Amino acid sequence: MTAKGHVSLHGIHKTFGTFEALKGIDLDIQPVEFFALLGPSGSGKTTTLRILAGLEAPDDGRIMIDGNDVTGTQPGERDVAMVFQNYALYPHMTLAANIGFPLKMDGVAKNKIPDLVRQAAARVKIDHLLHRRPGQLSGGQQQRCALARAIVRQPRLFLLDEPLSNLDAQLRLETRVELKKLQRSLDVTTVYVTHDQEEAMTIADRMAVFLDGDIVQVGTPDEVFNRPLSVHVAAFIGSPPMNLFAGQLEQGAVKVGDYEIKLPKSPDHAAGDVTVGVRPSHIRLSDHGLPARLYLSENLGESMLLNFLVDDQLVKVRLPEVRRFAENETTALSFEPEHIHLFDQKTGLRIGS
Amino acid sequence: MARSASKAAAARRNGFLIAAASLLLLIWVFPLIWAVIVSLKSESEVLAYPPRVIFEPTFQNYSDALFGGVSILPSLVTSLIVSTSTTILTIIIAVPAAYAFARLRLRGKKWLGFYTLATQMVPPVGLVIPYFLILNKIGWLDTFQGMVTVYLTFSLPFAIWLLVSYMEDIPREMEEAAFLDKANRFQTLWHIILPQVRGGIAVTVIFIFLNAWNEFLFAVQLGGNTVRPVTVAMFNFVSVEQTLWAKLSAAALVAMLPMIIIGIAAQKQIVKGLTVGAVKGGGRL
Amino acid sequence: MFATERNFALLMVAPGLLVLLLTTTFPLVFLLWNSFHTVNLAMPFLDGFAGLDNYARMMADSRFWHALQLTAIYTFSSVALQLFIGLGLALLVMQISAGQWLFRIVAILPIVLAPVVVGLFWRTIMLAPEFGIIDFIFRILGLGQVNWLGSPTPALISVIIIHTWQWTPFAFLVLLASLAALPPEVFEAAKIDKAGAFQRFRYITLPLIRPAVVIVVIMRSMIALSAFAAIFAATGGGPGTATEILNLYAYKTSFVELNFGYGSALAVSLLVITICVSGLLFRLRTAHRG
Ligand SMILES: Nc1ncnc2c1ncn2[C@@H]1O[C@H](COP(=O)(O)OP(=O)(O)OP(=O)(O)O)[C@@H](O)[C@H]1O
Ligand SMILES: [Mg+2]
Repeated sequence: MTAKGHVSLHGIHKTFGTFEALKGIDLDIQPVEFFALLGPSGSGKTTTLRILAGLEAPDDGRIMIDGNDVTGTQPGERDVAMVFQNYALYPHMTLAANIGFPLKMDGVAKNKIPDLVRQAAARVKIDHLLHRRPGQLSGGQQQRCALARAIVRQPRLFLLDEPLSNLDAQLRLETRVELKKLQRSLDVTTVYVTHDQEEAMTIADRMAVFLDGDIVQVGTPDEVFNRPLSVHVAAFIGSPPMNLFAGQLEQGAVKVGDYEIKLPKSPDHAAGDVTVGVRPSHIRLSDHGLPARLYLSENLGESMLLNFLVDDQLVKVRLPEVRRFAENETTALSFEPEHIHLFDQKTGLRIGS
Repeated sequence: MARSASKAAAARRNGFLIAAASLLLLIWVFPLIWAVIVSLKSESEVLAYPPRVIFEPTFQNYSDALFGGVSILPSLVTSLIVSTSTTILTIIIAVPAAYAFARLRLRGKKWLGFYTLATQMVPPVGLVIPYFLILNKIGWLDTFQGMVTVYLTFSLPFAIWLLVSYMEDIPREMEEAAFLDKANRFQTLWHIILPQVRGGIAVTVIFIFLNAWNEFLFAVQLGGNTVRPVTVAMFNFVSVEQTLWAKLSAAALVAMLPMIIIGIAAQKQIVKGLTVGAVKGGGRL
Repeated sequence: MFATERNFALLMVAPGLLVLLLTTTFPLVFLLWNSFHTVNLAMPFLDGFAGLDNYARMMADSRFWHALQLTAIYTFSSVALQLFIGLGLALLVMQISAGQWLFRIVAILPIVLAPVVVGLFWRTIMLAPEFGIIDFIFRILGLGQVNWLGSPTPALISVIIIHTWQWTPFAFLVLLASLAALPPEVFEAAKIDKAGAFQRFRYITLPLIRPAVVIVVIMRSMIALSAFAAIFAATGGGPGTATEILNLYAYKTSFVELNFGYGSALAVSLLVITICVSGLLFRLRTAHRG
């Protein structure tokens, strides 16, 4: 392996007081990968990132970067750069001084610093603002300055903690794309924390899904979206996430209430209680299936999100076109066998492929 | 009709408020103004009854106080030396300590912080008694080093405590970013923290200087002919047999002029310092 | 890294703590030690261990009890006055739309003056019999002459007034700042809820500025308990012992009578009182918070 920036975590534990923030996580991040840490609030993403950076010491476990154990080393010795959620720009320095600070601390010759600063600033298009102070910049410009400060000394690892969360929606979309391009052009391993799954899906090569201090799935966005490994991931990924029904697995078929769906090939699993997951976009309105009553319809412009009541359970259905519905309209919901996700009801683990 | 009546009532009310407030305001400035007036009179004019408002002002008292037989000029210099040394020494010691209290992990930090706070509450009379004996023993009575040492007892706890509250306001990420930028702890303190608490340091400097300049109990008892701060020198003009009010007023005004200038110029910072203490004081450490 | 952080932290606090230990704690220990000894610079041949003699003498010393009583009166009344006048004035000034800066500037003046200068000003040009301006004002108002600093009760009132004069601006400025920091919406909401001026003060303003009020009381009590220079300059504790608060008594015993042992015991008693009062006040503060 020639490229640098290979990161692995082994059995990382972290407790704050009596609270177990990380319950022993393992992670392997390949060089040049854009890797997202995705999970709900409080699941331990930031803690993981800070442990990677060396700002927090794990109670147990090892951190390896490029084959070296860095568990006990200082943040400055790890050759990693981080962009903080609130950017943490030094308010008393100009942008040039902010971006140049890591170089100065690294002992780069004084006369070389201005050029390197200008190059880094140019990459994120803030080279015309170098004489200003952070207080005189917009949120987006500050965010770019934080990026420039991170890339200027070409670290082997980038750590980004929700770098886009303080930007408005429009800017967030634009910056997302630029960030990805920047990462590609720099060829540097990037670990990116977000709780916005759409962001993770679009930007990451691979991602790890965090839940309650554990990593519950690692994979490409496609894998995570299409093959959630547990009912918890299934309930978290997708907006809105998939509908989960209680069902019974029988010989060659699965039953939800009285609705029976034939399975093309019988999964390798004993008959019994299962959880059946179906994404809102995979549910059709038809004349057979689960009887449902319309509860609320949301017009999203190009599509519709319909909320049905099946018995007492709320079921979300995404309709690719906009139609009019009568209040309390009754219909039936059906889905194709290839769109069904099956989970063991006890363990919550995925059944079959 | 009704509206103009209520408007008039509001105006009356406002007028009353301003009058009441101004009266209190007058109570605060009056002694100073009166001192200025007295300082411009001759000693015999001072004793005229009834006191005259119209008189021929003279600056004789000022020139006497500054350059006369009992000039306060040497004392002004002494006060300047003592106050400046105290301030510099305090800041040098207090800044790192405050940084550790505000930011660093340290065993027993809570108790050490509490200790620092507690030392500030010691009544000065409880210190002047042992200090007199100690300084007497080591020959430091009436010396600059003795005086500055004693002044550290009030300036240091106060400075640490005030600086901590300023340093706590700096976001932690700022430092963490610096660590990742390969700055060591000392560089972080120097390049990142210090520039951002410049305002706080300025407030602290003002407070220490003010307190050191105005100090009296230590000065009168632990000083002497060599180290006689200006607060003690005031008594040159007060004696049982004869009190030179006009000269005393002139000397006092001269001695207080630097403080008055600082007070007015740094009014905002002083109030901020008072309220930082008031809002965060105690409890925090 | 955190082992080195601890070392670095220790390095940073060590000078400060060492200096504090040497300059405040060591002298206090020495003070305590002295209080158990006879230390008399006028009669050094008597010096030696005295056990609790100094404290026993204190308990039987009517001048001590008198000083204690004066300290209580002085501290309580001057802090109460500062708080009420300061709060009243702050509320008043808050309602004045323009020119608040003038009040802030004027209020800073007494604060920056040396207490000893304040004491001297009041002793001479303000309160002196015959020639002091206050005396003059009393006379033209037909209130007769008062020997302000020369007779016991007026002297006590005078030193309380002097202290209050100098330090009310402190309470005023702190309370004004905390009033100014209150969100105006709260008061507008209260007005909409038909709260009268007094109700707004009682149920909204006061609870919101309570932390500032408590801190003002704590800080001013500590200062009042150890007030020295202004009284020393204005009355020197006199006439007789009419204004001799504990502070001054301890001072005089040590430096006038040169009885450092007994003076130390008196100072220790003041220290204990200060600790108790501050402990009580801090408890009050946390009690209200919790
Ligand atoms: N310094 C700390 N002291 C105590 N608890 C902490 C500390 N830092 C984090 N925690 C706790 O650890 C858990 C994980 O925190 P972490 O910041 O890693 O969450 P996160 O996944 O980044 O969440 P978010 O999306 O809200 O930023 C949380 O419950 C948090 O309260
Ligand atoms: Mg986070």
